[in-house]
Amino acid sequence: MSAFANILAGGVFHAAVLFLVAAGLQLVFGVQKIVNLACGSFYALGAYFGITFIGYAAQFGMSPWLILPGLIVSGVLLGFIGPPIERLLRTIYSRDESFQLLLTFALVLMFQDVFKFIWGANPRSLDSAYLVYGTIGAGDFSMPVYNLLVILAAIAIACGLGAFLQRTNYGRILRATAENRVMAEALGVDVRRIYSAVFTAGAVLGTTAGALVVPTSAASLDMAIEFVVEAFAVVVIGGLGSMRGALIGATIVGLIRALSIVFFPEFEVIAIYVIVIGVLIFRPAGLFGRTLA
Amino acid sequence: MITTVPRWVSYREDFMAISRRKLLASAAAAGAISTSAGIFAPAIAQSKPLRIGILAPRSGIAAAPGENGIRATQWAVEKYNAKDGIGGRKVELVIEDESTPKDTIERFSKLVQQEKVDCVQGIVSSGVGLALGPVVEEARALTVYWDGTTQNGVDETIPDPKYLFRSTDNECEAMMASLLTIKHWKGKFAKVAGINPDYSYGRNNMAAFIAVLKRFNVEHEVVTEQWPKVGTMDLTSYAAALKAAKPDLIFSSLLFADLPVFMKQAHAAGLTEGTKLVFPAAGWQHTLMKKEFTPEGMLFGHNTLYFANPNNSATAKEFVAWYGDKFKDYPEWEADRAYFAVESYKQAIEKAMKAKGGGWPSQDDVIQAMIGLEVESLGGKGNWRKDKVANQTFVQGFTTHKNNYDFVTLAEPFDTMYSADLQKPPGANFWEWIKTAQFKV
Repeated sequence: MSAFANILAGGVFHAAVLFLVAAGLQLVFGVQKIVNLACGSFYALGAYFGITFIGYAAQFGMSPWLILPGLIVSGVLLGFIGPPIERLLRTIYSRDESFQLLLTFALVLMFQDVFKFIWGANPRSLDSAYLVYGTIGAGDFSMPVYNLLVILAAIAIACGLGAFLQRTNYGRILRATAENRVMAEALGVDVRRIYSAVFTAGAVLGTTAGALVVPTSAASLDMAIEFVVEAFAVVVIGGLGSMRGALIGATIVGLIRALSIVFFPEFEVIAIYVIVIGVLIFRPAGLFGRTLA
Repeated sequence: MITTVPRWVSYREDFMAISRRKLLASAAAAGAISTSAGIFAPAIAQSKPLRIGILAPRSGIAAAPGENGIRATQWAVEKYNAKDGIGGRKVELVIEDESTPKDTIERFSKLVQQEKVDCVQGIVSSGVGLALGPVVEEARALTVYWDGTTQNGVDETIPDPKYLFRSTDNECEAMMASLLTIKHWKGKFAKVAGINPDYSYGRNNMAAFIAVLKRFNVEHEVVTEQWPKVGTMDLTSYAAALKAAKPDLIFSSLLFADLPVFMKQAHAAGLTEGTKLVFPAAGWQHTLMKKEFTPEGMLFGHNTLYFANPNNSATAKEFVAWYGDKFKDYPEWEADRAYFAVESYKQAIEKAMKAKGGGWPSQDDVIQAMIGLEVESLGGKGNWRKDKVANQTFVQGFTTHKNNYDFVTLAEPFDTMYSADLQKPPGANFWEWIKTAQFKV
């Protein structure tokens, strides 16, 4: 039983991080109709910058206990990259989707070189400072408290995002813009500003995910591409543009991965993509996506 | 009748075809000149620098070992050039990136055809080494691998290369770790788990470990085998899977940046307490194996260079001190492999020159001089077998926290073995050899 709990805990932790990246992807697509491959780069940027930020903060005497809020702050600070990139993307809003894919993939490659230039080619990591929070356990079950806090943070962000989109005026404006941009514009919505804010929020979700995962992992040049592939599996399963879909999709991918690693290690990747293919065949719009007329 | 000007397309194709033919012919001619040299080569050769091309990874997950190798080569070359260079010629390095097999092959061709290097050294990745091997033979360019292999799995694809000198078999460290496991822990474990990188190196290492256990009739049960992709950085679920299997012993040939990440996550999962750990290739990341998450008493391989080995030669100690001063770091085995390659080349040239009474040797002379050559490398003695495979000295032992570093080192005494006792003889089948070889446990 405790072994199963260990496996579930690993899967849910992976799902929590995956959700944050996929949520950014969903938010941007839902409102702006842009398939943003660069969300993986935001994730990697958050990881690299998180290490640098914590390094400097420690030099200035930051307590190790503040590592989690420190990393969230570092992720949020990176939001400044959102507006200029969104400005660049404006040139292709009205063009074919293939331009979006090409431009955002070019950004992925450019970011990779920027990471190499600033942080070098070697993977970077934070020692094991995250274990300062200790571990919780019972019997054979054990889990770092940090991992639990990340899961709780992801849940809080999911709830906060849902409440923001459903219950606030700004959220209603966002949803209206997502439904019908022209009508929203006619009713006086500053769509450019909305787009800039949404893209920045999507970027911050990615950078925060990267910053939160790095204490347990490492920042590497390949992490952007590796993660964006999984994020797309989440989006296909959950449905493009759906926040609820991102949450359920991430949970499915995280748990399937964890369970297949234990029970069918050879099928770790296949297991996820069998579900992706199944969804594409039987529910092409995803579990929570809406079929376009 | 003389034909009129052909269409530009066909002209261009002809031109390119001629160019390709010319290129191949000139490469072959260059090879022929270098192999038959002797008469006019010394006069030309000794007046210009000796150029060594280096192919090593400078980005990605193998960037750190690549950098180690490059630095060791640069250090050796600085020392040579501070005296008379090699055979009286100053040495120049031309460094190119080792990346994908296709791109690396193109860079190899550039080194040989455009840069006109006298020798190519480097290669860390098995995948690249395997693909590059036939190209080296075709180009007839003396090439010395630091690492990697020309084995597909453990089946040799170039049994008798003429121009290619290869590193020790990739399975040497797994063989040594397996033998030490039996020496120290036979009868103390029953349930075995593995977590190894999902490519031929990881698969062969795990299979070798199990084959050696069988060879020595060690009763065991493999409770789980995990195969994360190289570069996977979230290994939490793998640690959970290993924990669920409740192994007595974990064998892992993880060796890239994922290794310290795994140790960190395994430590957080409580996996490192009470489980015997056998990590034959951990030395590639030794400075990242921090004490706070790497336990004492783990069987840890430093491969062919253990920087803190008190028995290291004066040269090795000088190198480690230089490396520490210059890079605030401690070198790992790729530095030794690179030094072994460049020092072997130097000694082979000098040996061949002596045989020729001081004249500059041809490439064939250098190749012949290198076979059987005994070289004192940074990590200990080494030599070149008849089949142009290296023998080198391997170091493994149990980890300790009793040192002045923030990472683990080896408790003394640790074990040292020569690869002649760890790798299959020329032409042998690896799996059959394990069944019949006389091992010194």
